[in-house]
Amino acid sequence: MKLLAKYNRLNIAATILVLLVASGCYYFVLTYVLIHQLDKDLRLEEQEVKDYVQQNNHLPNPANYKDQKTVFESTNETGKRKIFSVTLYDSTEREEQPGRRLVFYINSGGAVYKATITKSRQETEDLVRLIVLLTVSIVVLLLVVLFIINRVVFRRLWQPFNNTLQQLKQYSPGGEQTIQVQPTTITEFKELNDAVTGMTNRVAKDYEALKSFTENASHEIQTPLAVIKSKLELLMQGEHYTEAQVHYIQQIEEEINRLSKLNQSLLLLTKIENQQFSVTIPININALIHQQLDKFEELLHARQIRLSANMNNDCIVAMNEVMAGVLISNLVTNAIKHNIDKGSINIVLQNNQLIISNTGAALSTNPGELFERFKKDKAHSDSLGLGLSIVKKICEQNHFNIHYTSEGNRHIVTLLFSA
Amino acid sequence: MKVLIIEDEKALSDSICTYLKAQDYICETAADFHTAISKTEIFDYDCILLDITLPGGNGLSILKELRLNNKSDGVLIISAKNSIDDKVSGLMLGADDYLAKPFHLSELNARIAAIIRRKQFGGSSVINFHNITVDTQAKTAKVNGQSLDLTKKEFDLLLYFISNKGRVISKTAIAEHLWGDEMEGNLDFIYTHIKNLRKKLQEAGDADYIKSVYGMGYKFTDQ
Repeated sequence: MKLLAKYNRLNIAATILVLLVASGCYYFVLTYVLIHQLDKDLRLEEQEVKDYVQQNNHLPNPANYKDQKTVFESTNETGKRKIFSVTLYDSTEREEQPGRRLVFYINSGGAVYKATITKSRQETEDLVRLIVLLTVSIVVLLLVVLFIINRVVFRRLWQPFNNTLQQLKQYSPGGEQTIQVQPTTITEFKELNDAVTGMTNRVAKDYEALKSFTENASHEIQTPLAVIKSKLELLMQGEHYTEAQVHYIQQIEEEINRLSKLNQSLLLLTKIENQQFSVTIPININALIHQQLDKFEELLHARQIRLSANMNNDCIVAMNEVMAGVLISNLVTNAIKHNIDKGSINIVLQNNQLIISNTGAALSTNPGELFERFKKDKAHSDSLGLGLSIVKKICEQNHFNIHYTSEGNRHIVTLLFSA
Repeated sequence: MKVLIIEDEKALSDSICTYLKAQDYICETAADFHTAISKTEIFDYDCILLDITLPGGNGLSILKELRLNNKSDGVLIISAKNSIDDKVSGLMLGADDYLAKPFHLSELNARIAAIIRRKQFGGSSVINFHNITVDTQAKTAKVNGQSLDLTKKEFDLLLYFISNKGRVISKTAIAEHLWGDEMEGNLDFIYTHIKNLRKKLQEAGDADYIKSVYGMGYKFTDQ
């Protein structure tokens, strides 16, 4: 839920609640005050009747107005004076109306009369109704104003925040864009902008340091490797070695090659992770696969590996050129390298999906685990175990879906471009 | 043939020198930026091996300087960084080739030979080894005037062997030359290509120049 929506919901709920409670209170207080006023009028009326009787020693004429009625009845008994609410029937308007009635007993000319003064509460009811109506109008008006404020003003108020957020989303360390914050007078946003700018500066600095460290480390390792490799090659030119010495040289050569490949693969992985291959262009996957297959055509022929390729439709994928090359080359060489003589390779490319299946030794490990770094099947202990993790890293970066399954001696890699 | 090796790692430039001298090259070395600049200004070389990170300056500046002065020395960049940017900017500035460290001396030697062939003979060049004639432009090979029916890899292999004649070449070096560096692991399949090449050469009436060196690799030699 958006902050604004949440805030609004709370705000509106609180406003309505307060206004409802307030109008309730209003209603009761007003009713109380108005009834009090009516009662005062009734008592004034009583006083007038009493004064009149005292002066003239007979009852005044019962006065009948629209909202006030006075009735005298002769009675034998006296009772207590009381004031209470009644419901009256208005014959002209043909409806029931609330009213207030005062009953008292009075002696006049030796007889006891029961005097009843009734006042209609219609007007006070109207007043209360008007007040409630006003309150409701205020609530509605308030809601409308709030709505407009949220729509227009809040959007403008949040603009610097949204701007910073948008830039943060697009920010990648080492990318060409730096964060350009929008100047603002709001303290919170100012603090946010300061924090974001500070953080991205630190990130950029760390990233640069890491990048140059990786490159420098690789540089420092490659140079002694190059020296050892060249010296070894010179050593190989010598003659009259014993069988044991030849064996040593051979082993050293193998390990040196492994080490230099390991270094290169790790460097490549680091570069992919650091998103140094971010420039994308449309890549024709068909052409890339054909290029790889051409390279190994003679090798396939020599090992009598049957190749069937079904790549009728052009598959164009927007990705980095270097990554695409590494991805396809790794997948194709894997299918060849881990194949068996007189085996087969099946390549299907259609609907943005690439399926490479090949024969090979049955796996002793779970196929999914081979995507992890340095995981390799025991049958291929001379491989580095980085090829598939590079493939996976490339797929992750490009949001491709990749699966590796094996059924007996058949290995199937399924790659869905732009999942 | 004169080659200048601009490389700050003395042990490496020594190795390169030793290997190239055995191929009848004259080698000079420069271990820092300023020596390199002054040597390239005064002398002409058939090929310059150029390291990018040098004490005193960037190797690419030497390349820039060379091309500014209209010098057409062949330039092969040997860099440890193996970064795409260096490769691209190097080739843009007019380098002839790029080789990432660590490399095989036999690969380096074959690349130098290719650069010199391109520079000196305008792209068409015929190499002879006894009765074998290789036309690097037309990509054909003949034995005693008779054309050989070689596949592309077999031709590459033959040219690689002749470029490194008399030297022991490891199987890894051959595999990397033929397929790039993706083919780690089992290298036995090289044997198939070598067997076929040897058979075709022998059928055309050639002596068997491809010697297998036990445990190390192969050697193309008339001895």
